[in-house]
Amino acid sequence: MDDVITDIPPPSRFLLEDLNNFTPPPPPLPSPFLVFSSADSKKGFQPSLLIIAMSSPSLHFLHHLSSKTLVASLVLPEIPFAGNSVEPSLKDKSCNIYALNDAEKLIMIVLVQFSVTPERAHAVAKLLIGEKIIPERVLILDSVQSRNFRGKLPPDETIAFKLETSLERKNSDAGDSSLVKGLDYYPSGSIVDGLAAALLSRCQLKKIKGTLCVSWPDLGFPVMSLIKSLLVRDVFAGINYTTDGDYEDEYLRLSRRKDRIDSDLYT
Amino acid sequence: MEFYLEEGKQLNPNCSTLVLPALSIGNVGQLAVDLLISSLKAEKIGYLDEPNVLPCVGNDAYSPSPVGKLALPLEAYDSSSSAMTLVQQRSPVVKGMTIEYAKNIASFAAANGKNHVIILSSLDFGRWKNIDMSSGLQIYYLSSSNVDGTDTNCETRGWNRLQDYNPAQRTWKYLDALAEQGSVPDEDFSFEELEDEDYYPSLPFAALFSCFKAKGLKVTCLLCYCSEGDNIPEAFHLAEATSKLMGLSQNEFHGNGAGNWIIPFSWQSVYGPPPEMTLF
Repeated sequence: MDDVITDIPPPSRFLLEDLNNFTPPPPPLPSPFLVFSSADSKKGFQPSLLIIAMSSPSLHFLHHLSSKTLVASLVLPEIPFAGNSVEPSLKDKSCNIYALNDAEKLIMIVLVQFSVTPERAHAVAKLLIGEKIIPERVLILDSVQSRNFRGKLPPDETIAFKLETSLERKNSDAGDSSLVKGLDYYPSGSIVDGLAAALLSRCQLKKIKGTLCVSWPDLGFPVMSLIKSLLVRDVFAGINYTTDGDYEDEYLRLSRRKDRIDSDLYT
Repeated sequence: MEFYLEEGKQLNPNCSTLVLPALSIGNVGQLAVDLLISSLKAEKIGYLDEPNVLPCVGNDAYSPSPVGKLALPLEAYDSSSSAMTLVQQRSPVVKGMTIEYAKNIASFAAANGKNHVIILSSLDFGRWKNIDMSSGLQIYYLSSSNVDGTDTNCETRGWNRLQDYNPAQRTWKYLDALAEQGSVPDEDFSFEELEDEDYYPSLPFAALFSCFKAKGLKVTCLLCYCSEGDNIPEAFHLAEATSKLMGLSQNEFHGNGAGNWIIPFSWQSVYGPPPEMTLF
């Protein structure tokens, strides 16, 4: 049960320090930066498509694409490397950037495996889009945050919505199809915040075709199927790719483990 | 802060008044700006990219059938018929960066030909003293027209200047010093010992007031008291006050109901979804 005294207030409510001009600013943090795997990479990239994965199902599926090469990592200085493995792992707190092999045009994939605070999101978004990486099109995959959603989120259904930049919508209105098809727009009155919002905003400001897809729930086989279907059908259509391992079973085990941890029986 | 124009749009030099919300209890300023944008059918002309405002995105807040027009955290709208630019802020300022934000938006206003700024905000009922409720919900104001914060235009409308405003009071003076570029504020000022008299100047509307004033712009803050809850009535009240201050006629508004207001579509879910009926 929510503790109304100590829990985070609902979105329309401010804490006293939010409305105080003299609240001290946060201590300054060193800027995030990109580390490239080869000297050639430092010149920058112009991918035809940049996919940025943040939700569990998208991270899981894209991590298991075997036809990709690590080209860079984004480092957030406040996130320690301790516990990370030498080979990329889904358990790492990392943000690795890959190029998809065998694609006619460069497709890059970013797997955001650490939590980026809203205060850092602007800086991270600037680094991923519009400086060393200048994509023609961007797809961001995140989960619906229940605290920001003003409709009903059914516990036993899988849903997904999208938001698009003006240029992506214009592309669609002009007869070229949207990158992501068959999804309704995110309902008016609800918002998406954090890194996903910062990334899509950056696309809008820089006049880049961008799509944000948010799915619900964050775990479970049905949402994995939905995201996989969306990527395979709409994004990777005509592109050769391979996946490694039995990722679906692994994902199912992860979902069941998280269900047990989140169960109210153990509060 | 950078300003990005929407494709095909230009800033209208005739829109010399800027209306914007200050974050406050009940989000009343933001609700009032929503109502004004919706009812004036103001046109989105661009976005403000401000690293001190937290990111958020959403679907169009105003159209009756939202078709996916992206909404960003800081957006500028023009209402040419009312000679007004409205800036809507949809997400909070990074903690501790309110004054930086206020300076940046004041620079934007000054650089883009605004000569009058109207700040909409609410005040906490829990802080009121000696409020006269005999004539209903009262509008309070604070103006840069006179040193004591008064303005003849506001007084003739029966509005009261913000109680106990004293520009010589230490916190107001400290804010003014922070707002002035190159000024050295009092290093002995202690944030941890704020008293009752420091409350109003500690609020976001005061930072905006001081920073716009420092740019030489005329500033009017329109304020009303409220508590957390359903603050839509207060939003109407502030929006009506703005309309009166600007001398707008009802014909400027495009609704069909009382006052010709148009309720923004996004307000349908402002308090979340309806309760689960299976409970009953």
